Parts: sequence; C-alpha cells; structure tokens
Amino acid sequence: MRIGSAIHGPRLVAKLMALSVALLVVPWLSWLLLVEMERALEAMQFRQQLLVAKGISTFLNGREDLFADLPIDPEDYEALYARPITGSARLDGAIEDWNDVDSHVANAFGASGGTADGSFDLSLGDREGWLYAFLKVRDDVRVYRNPKSLRLDGADHVRVDFIRADGEDGRIAITASQAGVTTAYPMDAEWRLAETGAPERSVQGHLVETGEGYALEFRMPLDMLGSRRVFGLSFVDVDDPQTRAIRTVTRTLPTAGEESFGLVVYRSPEVLKIIEGLGYAGYRIMVIDTESRRRAETGGLDLGPRPPAETNWAAIPRGAFLKTRQWLEAFTAGDADVAQDAEGAAEVIASALAGDPLALRRHAGEKEVIMAGHPIVGAGGSVIGLVAVEQTIEDIETFQYAAIDSIVWVSVASLIAFVLAVIAFSGRLTWRIRNLRREAAAAIDEYGRLRSAALSSEIHSGDEIGDLARSVSNMLTRLRQHNHFIENMPRTLRHEINNPLNVLSTSLQNLSEDVADVKDSRYLESARRGVLRIGAIVENLADAASLDESLQAEDMDEVDLEQLLANYVGNCAITHPDHGFLFRGTGAAVIVLASDYRIEQMLDKIIDNAIDFHRAGSAIRVQLDTGPEHARIAIANRGPPLPRDATGSVFESMVSHRGPDNRLHFGLGLYVVRTIAEHHGGTVRALNLTDGSGVVISVQLPLATGAGKAEEPAQDHSSRTA
Amino acid sequence: MATLIAIVEDDPDQRANYADAIVKKGYETATYASRAEALAGFDERIPDLAVLDIILGPEVDAGFQLCRELLARKPTLPVIFLTERINEIDKISGLRLGAWDYLPKPISLDYLAERIASLIRINDVRTSGEDSVSPSARRVGGLVLDQDALLVSWQGRRIDLSATEFRMLAKLVRNPGHAVSYETLMQSTMQSLVTHNTINTHMRNIRKKFEREDNEFAGIKSEYGFGYRWTVGD
Repeated sequence: MRIGSAIHGPRLVAKLMALSVALLVVPWLSWLLLVEMERALEAMQFRQQLLVAKGISTFLNGREDLFADLPIDPEDYEALYARPITGSARLDGAIEDWNDVDSHVANAFGASGGTADGSFDLSLGDREGWLYAFLKVRDDVRVYRNPKSLRLDGADHVRVDFIRADGEDGRIAITASQAGVTTAYPMDAEWRLAETGAPERSVQGHLVETGEGYALEFRMPLDMLGSRRVFGLSFVDVDDPQTRAIRTVTRTLPTAGEESFGLVVYRSPEVLKIIEGLGYAGYRIMVIDTESRRRAETGGLDLGPRPPAETNWAAIPRGAFLKTRQWLEAFTAGDADVAQDAEGAAEVIASALAGDPLALRRHAGEKEVIMAGHPIVGAGGSVIGLVAVEQTIEDIETFQYAAIDSIVWVSVASLIAFVLAVIAFSGRLTWRIRNLRREAAAAIDEYGRLRSAALSSEIHSGDEIGDLARSVSNMLTRLRQHNHFIENMPRTLRHEINNPLNVLSTSLQNLSEDVADVKDSRYLESARRGVLRIGAIVENLADAASLDESLQAEDMDEVDLEQLLANYVGNCAITHPDHGFLFRGTGAAVIVLASDYRIEQMLDKIIDNAIDFHRAGSAIRVQLDTGPEHARIAIANRGPPLPRDATGSVFESMVSHRGPDNRLHFGLGLYVVRTIAEHHGGTVRALNLTDGSGVVISVQLPLATGAGKAEEPAQDHSSRTA
Repeated sequence: MATLIAIVEDDPDQRANYADAIVKKGYETATYASRAEALAGFDERIPDLAVLDIILGPEVDAGFQLCRELLARKPTLPVIFLTERINEIDKISGLRLGAWDYLPKPISLDYLAERIASLIRINDVRTSGEDSVSPSARRVGGLVLDQDALLVSWQGRRIDLSATEFRMLAKLVRNPGHAVSYETLMQSTMQSLVTHNTINTHMRNIRKKFEREDNEFAGIKSEYGFGYRWTVGD
C-alpha cells in the first residue's frame, strides 16, 4: 500500500479518538452537579441550623431575666469580662494561643494609665470551667522569692482575693522563685505567710520575663470563686532584694478594702442549663447577649486538623482534584465567599441582634463551619440576645469527597474503557474496511478484467460495511454480466452479420449467373471484395474475443522452442521474401510446455507487427535465450521507437499506435500476443532499443523442468483433452 | 425421379438463393424453414442429400437433431452442414453424427453445387457395394486415398474424414516431403474466408483422427510460419 499517497485526512482511529475527548464533559458535568448538590446540602444545613436556633430561641423568648441573673448588681462592681477562649490556652506566659485572632482585650491598671513601675495589663478568659488570667507587668527590678524564707511577701508576687463558695474570704498568692512555673499558696489575713504551708495546686501559672518586666499566665477553677464570682487581683512589687520591702501594690480596684473585688462576668448558668439538654456532639449552641457576651455554650466542635488522608491509592485523584478545586470553584461559581473566622461570627451576631436570622459559612481553625444565628426577643419585642448554632460541614465534605472520588474514578475508568473500546472498534472497523478494499481492488486486474464476480468477505455482515460489501458485490456481478455480454458481442455479431452476409454473397453469385451483363462488372467485383472484407473483420474480432476460451481447450505439449523458432524463421524467409530475418538460438533444445499452434500464432502477430514497423532493408532479428527458469524470445526490428508511455498499453485490446490511416487494424495483434503468452504462464514486454533505433518485443515463457513438472498442470486446463 | 436435395435454412433469402443455385444444376429441391417443417417433409419423402443450417430460429442445435433423425431413417444419406463457425465443427465430429461435410458461411454457391454433385456421385460409388480399392485410389506409403469415394485408409485401417479434410490431406500428400503453404491449403477448402487458424483447426482434427487409429502417427509436421508437410511413407 502506498501510505504516503493513500492518506488524505485523519484516519478513522484518529477521528474517533478526537471524538472521545468529548467524554471529558462527563466529569465536568459531574463536577457541576456536585457543586449544585453541595449548595443544596449547605442550604439544607443552613435551614436546619436556623430552625434549631429558632427552636432554642423560643425557649428564651421573653426571658430577660435570664440575661439579668447576675449574682450581684454589676453596677456595684468593676466588671472584669472573661471572654471565652477558643484556642488551646497553654500555660506558657503568652496570650497569643487563647484565640485564633488577635482580639484580646486587656484592661490596664496602675498609676499613670498603667505605664508606671508596678502597673499591669490584665486579660481574663474562661475555658471549660477555668478562669484564665494573663498579666503583663511593668517592673524595673525583678525580685524572686527566696525559697528559704517562709515569708512570701518578700518578693514580687500576685495576690488574688475572692469570696469562696462557702462565703469565707479567700486569699491566694502566686509566687515564683524563678521564671517558669509558679506556685500558689492560700495566705493568712496579713498576706505574710502561707496559711497551711501547702501550695494550692489547682491554681497553676507560668511566668516569663519580658523586656519591661513579667508576663504571667495562670488559671484557677471557676468553682473556687463561688456563685458570686467576684475576685480582686493585686501585684505586689518588691524592688530591693536586700530589704525585701514592699514598694507598691497595684490593685484591680482603686479603693482598697474588703468589698473591693472585681466582678468576673461570664456565662449565665441558668441559660446554660436550658440549652445543655439540647446540645449533642457535632453541634455547638451558644447564647449571646446584646453585649456580644457569650452567656452560655454547650456542645463542642472538633476543629482540629482532619486526620491525614488515607494513604491508599484511591485518595490520590482526590488530592489532585482538591488542589484544583479553588480554581474550579472560582470558575464555576464565581468567588467563593467563605467568610473568615471572626468576621463571619461578628456578621451573624450583628445580623441576629438586628432582628434578622442569618446563617453563613465560615472558616474555623482548619475546617469550615456553618453558623446560624437567631434573635431572642424580649417581652417588649426588642432583641435581648441571640442563639447561635454552629456545626462543621464535615458531613457535607465527607459526602463531597466520596463523590469526588467516585466521580474521578468512574470518569477515568469510563474514559479508559471508552478509549479502549474506540481503539478496538475502530481497529476492527479499519481492518474490515481494508479487507473489503483489498478484495474489491483484487476483483479487477491491472488490465481491467474481472477476476471474480462476487466478494466473499463481509457479505454476511449486517451493518453498513456489509451493505457496502453486498452492493459492491452486486456491482461486480452486474459488471460481470455486462462484461459477459460485451465478450459475447463479437460472436453474436458474427452470427448476426454472417447470415445477411451470406445472403449478400449468395445473391451476388446468383445475380452474376442470372444477368449476363453484370458478370464482368467491376461493381460486382468490388461488392464481393467488400463482402469478404466485412467477413474478415468480423472473423478477426470474434477470434480475438474468444481467444481466452479457445486457449482453454488447447492441448499443451513439450515443445522445443529452438527447433520451432529455427523452423519458423526459416519459413519466414519464404513467406516474406522481401524482408530479411536473422535467428540466433541457444544451440540446444529449449523445452517449454506449450501449444505449438498458439506459439506460432503469437510469432505471426509479432512478426507482422515488426514487418509493419521495420525500416526497409533492415533485418528482423529473432533471438532465443534461456535463464534459470525462463526462455526468452526477443524479436527486434529497426524503426521508429514506441512513444514512451505506450510500452505497456500496446498489448491491450483495441489499442493501436499505428495512426488514424490504418482502418483495418483494431490493435488486436499484440493483444493476442499477450493473451497467448499469459496463457502459457509467461509475460510479454515491448521495449525501445537502448540506442533508440527500434523496438524489441520480448516474450518470456517458463521452461518445462523435467517430465514430472511437465505433467503438472501449470495452467489447470493444460491437462484437459479436446 | 430427379435427385431431391433438402434445404433446411431459417433465413428465407439464403434459402431461396441456395434453392435457385441448386435448381439451376438440375436438381429438385425441397426447402424447409424449421425442424418441424423439415420432419414433416421427410415423412413424405426422404431426400437424396440434405443441406442443414445448424441454428434454426430459437433452436440452436436443430441442425444436429435433424441430422440424427435423417441418418436414423437412411444411414447412407449424405449430409452437408452450413454453419457460422468452424469451431462448432469440433462438436459435430465429436458427436460423430455421420455428417459428410461442413461448410462455413459465407459460402460459395458454385462450391456448394459442386460439393453436392460430388457427394451424390460418391454415395453412388459407395452404395454400389464395391469395397475394393477403386482404380482412382492413390497410394503414399501406408496411406491410401480414394478420390472418387472420398475414402482414406492408413495402414489398412479406415479413417473417416470430412470432404474438406479429405481435400486438404490430398493436397498435403500430393508432394510428400515437401512443405505445403497455408495459402495452398486454404484453396483446397474452396471457401471464401479462411484463416491460418481454420487450417490449424482442420489439421489438428485430421491428426487426431489418424492418432485414434495409430498412436504413433507423426505423418503431419508443422512448418511453423509456412504451412504443413507430409513426412512419412515414401
């Protein structure tokens, strides 16, 4: 196959492969569906959380008292707000881990607005039943406790005084003999010695030195403070390590005295009781008052990083997919409007406090949560607080990841399967089409003769290729019928013409008998010649047309070409006395399996042709030589060479290169030569002599090698007898 | 009673032409256009000689059937076939129908008349019962040719040749050992249109008929490009 010239465009395989790229739309559509589904789920969770928030808020509607159930009238106290700590809050002398964002509120205490020596900033937080305190103390000379001294007031320390749950005064000093872990002691009334000598282990703290002084972080159980939850805090500054005298005491309240406690305001226990029963794992329910203070909270969220993805291979595409997710989301749904942590919460709180329930999605730690806020309405119709319900979207994400996994794998698998199917299908299709083409091309030989009248491949296929094969096959069959008709035409013609010709001929004869005057007329003679000529033409045509058929009936014998040619060329000199002939043989017998009449007929045609074209006076040379398997007869004549493009076509039927003047020639002579040569299993070629001085017709015939081979039917009809 | 020549030919013009030419020679003719017509005519009177066209209307081998029919009634009846194609003669000889001669169209009326006269004369000779070699017989080695009775024998065995084949053989052996050209052989067929191929076909048939009686027969040699030669029997 001539691949270069046969490719006019993409092959079937390439086309189908290109088409299969369209399959990529499947994961794309799946992705869109997934995004829509996620939105729907999200909206559902929004609504559900809002409903929960609304349900809880109905318990609290009109209950202003719950928000006002502070144990002591806050008006009498300086309020120390303990803010909820959402972070880990390790005791390390740093406040940064209390909350995710830098939203720590500190109150400054001490002279000169908290800038003088011994002044401090205080932040309070609460977390899981602990009250956390963080102090940033300015102290120019740091004096640590001497562990050998029993007196605890001879060094820098922090005093906490409060009313215990049993109503007694509580006094705790937090001391440190060096930077690091602090020790707390219950103190006597004079704040000089430890009351029992045993440290209060439930009060833990950590002190670090800063450039300005100390940073102290400590915590104590909220239970210690009793139901009133009031306490005061002082920093005692000792500057002289020798005298160890107290220089200043900086208090949280400007006025000293028994009642000088700060009030820790934190969640309302009653509200907590109400909502506690509602909480369950995965939810966080918060009640927030109009001051944005968290009054109650139940349930908890696991905001830690999700466990590392399973290392199995199934998660690989998800990882790759999630990486492109941001881009995909931006592409499909516009900018992702997931609020950041604090703004999201603030937005919900502000909206709910303004009376509008709101749910939104926000980041929290490593995860995303949905936060829904619903206002609590007081008796007068005003908003007295809100219920916030938070839940992670883990369920949605889990669903989403599973869906992504299956989408990716199903898409990849179906794509691969489809591509394989396309390759297999198109391969098979191509193979079938090629087979069909090969067979169809082989049905007609290079001379345009039909070799077979029907195709055998794909005939029974039910599809379009089968249709094609059948129609090509039908075409061949009809062509065969037509060919048959054309082949039989000369014979039919002869039959049809010979009868009227015979009428003509016999009538002319009778005419010449009957009418004496006509007998010598030259018109009668020319009429007879005409009749003969028509007869000759029809005869020649019919002979050539039935040549194939009559060759089939011919007997094949072992013939000595050398002898035959010598005899033939010798006789040529007698039959064509005007022309010279030269024969050069091999000098030995050259045996071929042939029909001698037909070889003679073939030589007649070649010699006739050579005589017609040879230059007057030049000899026609006949040469016989042998190869290992072939005998070659070459008949050369001097004369005009063949046109370059005619060397192949001279052997075709009805092709004559003699010019328009020679009307008796149908170009049948060399066609007869070719047909006879091919019948004997040989070939024939017409070549110009290398010096351009003439033409040589060369016939190759296979040698009969041994008697066994001679018996073997080189042509299947050679063994037939007439 | 005059000699009756039956002519079976479906083409009316040819039929009339044959009849005219034959009547001129003093014979009586009976002409038929089809096989049925001819059979009906034969029931009335069996002719002395029949000239049959092979294809009669739609029946492609009506002539052969008629020949069989006639020879069944009168085995010695001379039959001449007129045909369009020399190759079909092979079939006839293969069938060994007993036809005496065959002439391809277009035919020469003179020759037809001459052939009719000759066959009638030969039939008379043959039916006269003399099986001995007539004085006109010619002997060439093992070959005996009886020109009058158109009888050939090879080494004592009878060879059945058609009249045309007989003439060609006679021409060939006139000068034993010398090559006879195609042109000479063509003249012996006394037909207007003869090709080398026709001669070759006849020669092959003759050779086969000899070989049938004598496997070793090699008396007829091809002179490729020229003609034939009789090589044995001096």
